[in-house]
Amino acid sequence: MSKVLCSVATRGRYNTTLPLVLSAIINQTKSPDKLIIYDDNDEPQDMRKEMIYQYFFQMLDSKKIPWEWKYADKKGQHHIHQQANIAGFDWVWRCDDDAIPEPNVLETLYSYAKRNPKLGAVGGSILTPPDMPDTSKVTGKIEDISREPNAQWNMISQVKPVDHLHCSFLYRAGVHDFNLGLSRVAHREETLFTWGLQQKGYQILIVPNAVTWHMKNPQGGIRSETNADLYRHDEEIFTNFLRCKGKTIVVLNCGRGDHVVFKRILPLIKDPIVFTCYPDIIPGMSIAEATSYFGNLDQFSIYKKMHQWNWTESLEKAFRKMYL
Amino acid sequence: MIIISPYSQKLRTGKKNPKNYPYWKELIAMIDEPIIQVGIDGEEQLVDDFRKNLSMDELSSVVRECRTWISCDSFLQHLGWDLGKKGIVLWGPSDPLIFGHSENINLLKDRSHLVKDQFIWWEATEHQDERFVSPQIVLEYLKE
Repeated sequence: MSKVLCSVATRGRYNTTLPLVLSAIINQTKSPDKLIIYDDNDEPQDMRKEMIYQYFFQMLDSKKIPWEWKYADKKGQHHIHQQANIAGFDWVWRCDDDAIPEPNVLETLYSYAKRNPKLGAVGGSILTPPDMPDTSKVTGKIEDISREPNAQWNMISQVKPVDHLHCSFLYRAGVHDFNLGLSRVAHREETLFTWGLQQKGYQILIVPNAVTWHMKNPQGGIRSETNADLYRHDEEIFTNFLRCKGKTIVVLNCGRGDHVVFKRILPLIKDPIVFTCYPDIIPGMSIAEATSYFGNLDQFSIYKKMHQWNWTESLEKAFRKMYL
Repeated sequence: MIIISPYSQKLRTGKKNPKNYPYWKELIAMIDEPIIQVGIDGEEQLVDDFRKNLSMDELSSVVRECRTWISCDSFLQHLGWDLGKKGIVLWGPSDPLIFGHSENINLLKDRSHLVKDQFIWWEATEHQDERFVSPQIVLEYLKE
């Protein structure tokens, strides 16, 4: 049976929506295999001293749901999500700290995950009444993202493949990385992440009967950040990824010998856009250009991937796993 | 003619790269064949014919012409493999099953000498002579 981690990234919402979210998670009809609360507050507190949280922790213990309260390093929720992504679970159910799932959400989402080996991520409705736009003609395609509401912003009546998801969803862990080059506001982080899964050949679905109430709390979370430059920075990274749609982005930020090994893989990659340290071995654009287009390049690091995979086979096979 | 590539990339800390073979001088003294050393500026010269900073084309050309080559875990072991020229790789803390090529002769003294995490920066690993095979063993394979 696959293991599901429930991860909650929280900031500035100790005494508003976070308790509602935790209560909703505890009362799911299918319990997660673990709950981790990543505390990204500027001034973190020990919530074991707070009565309501004491009850939550006792309820989790009573239900035999392992839980952990981790103090995050204040770099933004994308860093937190990436920690959850590589925490060793098969699936991660990410819950925003102002998004309250109905009791059946995890059970419903997981029912799709467990029967579909090509599923990358699955999400239900994310509702913020009274603002519930008409989504009947929404395509869910990445190229339409700026001209249509998100497909999850109203009741979902049937299963539908889309290119990307929003806010809260269940995803296959360890397959695609969150972009750590985004700013602290992490604008578009979940769009880039779920679309990245889709680009790797996994299905992204929206499904009915899985409603989460998104109480867009004006305090806390990314809405604490008002610096427009940060949003512009992240939007630019997103746009650069969009320009590469349908192509395979190859970033060889590695040694000269690694480039020689990669030569055997390159002809097998569909429509590659290559960034390289050694253009005399593998021609392409520079690593400086890759950094300016995509931000942090960790997601492209073959060494970080091999470390993450506890790799024991050849470098060539690692490149194959990464790109083919 | 034999090519040798004695050194791995210099570390940013200035420390000795733990992948560098420690017995080059002894090995060279035992080889009865012309030797060309390839490398870059700043590396210690071990033989008379030291060709520095060769381009890819120049290096490939020399590799094609040689009888064989000997290298630590560095660029030459990949280039030789790519060109189909079999050579000897002298392994220490890095794992030939990950970074090597089975087409080469991979001389590893003992897998117990490999560092546990193969994907860290090499700056974090100390150089240890005892990780490497002796020059006598290298010579046996060189004569094959």
